[in-house]
Amino acid sequence: MGLSEHFPALIVAVFIFAAFLSPLLYRWARHLSAAYLVVTLLAAFGMVIALLVQVQHSGPVYYHMGGWPPPWGIEFKADALRLYILLVVIGVSLWVFIYALRDLQHELKRRVIGWYYTLYALLVGSMAGMALTNDLFNLFVLMEICAISACAIISIKEDRECLEASFKYLILSAMGTGCFLLGVVMLYMVTGYLNYSFMQAELVEAFNYYPRNIFTAAALFIVAFGTKAALFPLHVWLPDAHASAPSPSSAMLSGVVIKIYAFGLFLMFYEVFPPELLRTIPLNEIVLWLASLGAIFGSVYAMMQSDLKKMLAFSSIGQIAYIFMGIGFNHDLAMVGGFYHLMVHAVTKAMLFMAAGVIIYSTGIRKIEDLAGIGRVLPVTMIAFSIGSASMVGLPGTGGLISKWFLALSALEIGRPVFVIVILASSLLNAVYYMPIVINAFMHHHEFGADFKPVPRVMKACMIAGMIFVVVSGFYTTPVVNLLEQAAELFF
Amino acid sequence: MEILKGIIDNYYYMVAIILFVIGMYTMLTHSNMIKKVIAMNIMDASVFLMFVAVGYAHGSQAPIIREGADVLYANPLPGALILTGIVVAVSVTAYALSLVVKIYRYYETCDYDEICEIRSRE
Repeated sequence: MGLSEHFPALIVAVFIFAAFLSPLLYRWARHLSAAYLVVTLLAAFGMVIALLVQVQHSGPVYYHMGGWPPPWGIEFKADALRLYILLVVIGVSLWVFIYALRDLQHELKRRVIGWYYTLYALLVGSMAGMALTNDLFNLFVLMEICAISACAIISIKEDRECLEASFKYLILSAMGTGCFLLGVVMLYMVTGYLNYSFMQAELVEAFNYYPRNIFTAAALFIVAFGTKAALFPLHVWLPDAHASAPSPSSAMLSGVVIKIYAFGLFLMFYEVFPPELLRTIPLNEIVLWLASLGAIFGSVYAMMQSDLKKMLAFSSIGQIAYIFMGIGFNHDLAMVGGFYHLMVHAVTKAMLFMAAGVIIYSTGIRKIEDLAGIGRVLPVTMIAFSIGSASMVGLPGTGGLISKWFLALSALEIGRPVFVIVILASSLLNAVYYMPIVINAFMHHHEFGADFKPVPRVMKACMIAGMIFVVVSGFYTTPVVNLLEQAAELFF
Repeated sequence: MEILKGIIDNYYYMVAIILFVIGMYTMLTHSNMIKKVIAMNIMDASVFLMFVAVGYAHGSQAPIIREGADVLYANPLPGALILTGIVVAVSVTAYALSLVVKIYRYYETCDYDEICEIRSRE
């Protein structure tokens, strides 16, 4: 044992340590600073895999901060589902960071790159903590760290759009955390605990005496997590924020940051609230209908955009809706589908933003109509974009099909075929705005002149890795689906 | 009548909720960015007030244990948590204000509507 006992805490601690060391290293040993963060990410990834092996052998691992047992101390819990989320978060972060190494030199001023590493490490660390923690107040603190660092990796570019977008994002996410904390107070008032497991046990009884407190908390939590994860009517901050950010930031924000909040809402529903609550008031139904609206309207808005990154940002609103549908169906197959989509969309959307970043890096083009014929100049990038688009639409042979398949199956199993139609309609809408870009890029002839920069090898390698992953996740699904089915047994 | 009595007995919760709504409303509707940041602080403070009020019982004392004294202690946990919450709120405020300063340098105004106007003219 020894060190491996402390893995749950160390996964978060290594990032916070790296966050403080990065600017110093950048100042005094510039060539080491990026390598150090890569090593940190790799170490965290290794620890998650080691924990996953341990959890598969001997069940969930609980870690008590500073040796204080719950309900007094903060508890970290590592079960199969949380470790799966961690694998996605840290894996995607590592991959995006390698891409960012070249892209940042182009998008940011040299002196702030060290600070960007700090923010990046804080962002990944806080998301890892949000996935692992078993304590509501700890979740609040980590949410605020995540919110500040997510806004800061947008505003670090310091042009007008970025500053405005990140201010808007900051205000709305402050509203989200305010609502969340008020919800926590409501629950603390009737239970006296902050630990998820203790609270759920206590709420089962408290639900008979103080239903109003718990209803209020439920409403506040939907607003809080809905705002932060861009659930349909609360998504207004997302398009500006994700479109104006530097490309690696966009990839991170659209790829993983919004998902961790969707996962947070899932934990509130199934690990904090008593099961009777979900039967008494139609919480699942609310989430489900908002998600359906989001799936349709996100795509409709995306169609109207002329800016490539803005279109990708609106598409995220449509895609996060599938993950919320996975929560809303309240069924094990839907949960598998929703969380499979979490992984597939994290990789796909990050890859699409990388492709958009490469196009901007190499040619400076941001408008969709200028992209005609670009496939002949940047073949690898546009092939990556095509495969990403195929996965967004859900064509066979890509991961996007698998998650939609599971969601549609569960909609049929609970006897509500109307949601199959919603899923199909939103897939078709996705095709309407992704496919013309792909077709125009390859079919048209257009002279771009000599003013485009060659694409660095690192960026190409990152996109090729993404393509391979998206295709593999469309064929070789058993390990992930097995893991998720095993996790779903605990909830349904 | 019973509801009214409940409200009067728990007036501190009511104050907290009213502050929360004022803060949230101003934050979302006001076009001046400084006022948005102030409203954000009002909203945070209202939640803190509510959290601290939860930990207090009528006639209780600060939780400093004295040998042999048979008194009611206030719950120290909310106080400790809110200390953390205040620190978090301060850092968010600092960051938000720094953004306002940067935006002011570009547009020479703190008013969101005016910024939209300037942008639409370009």
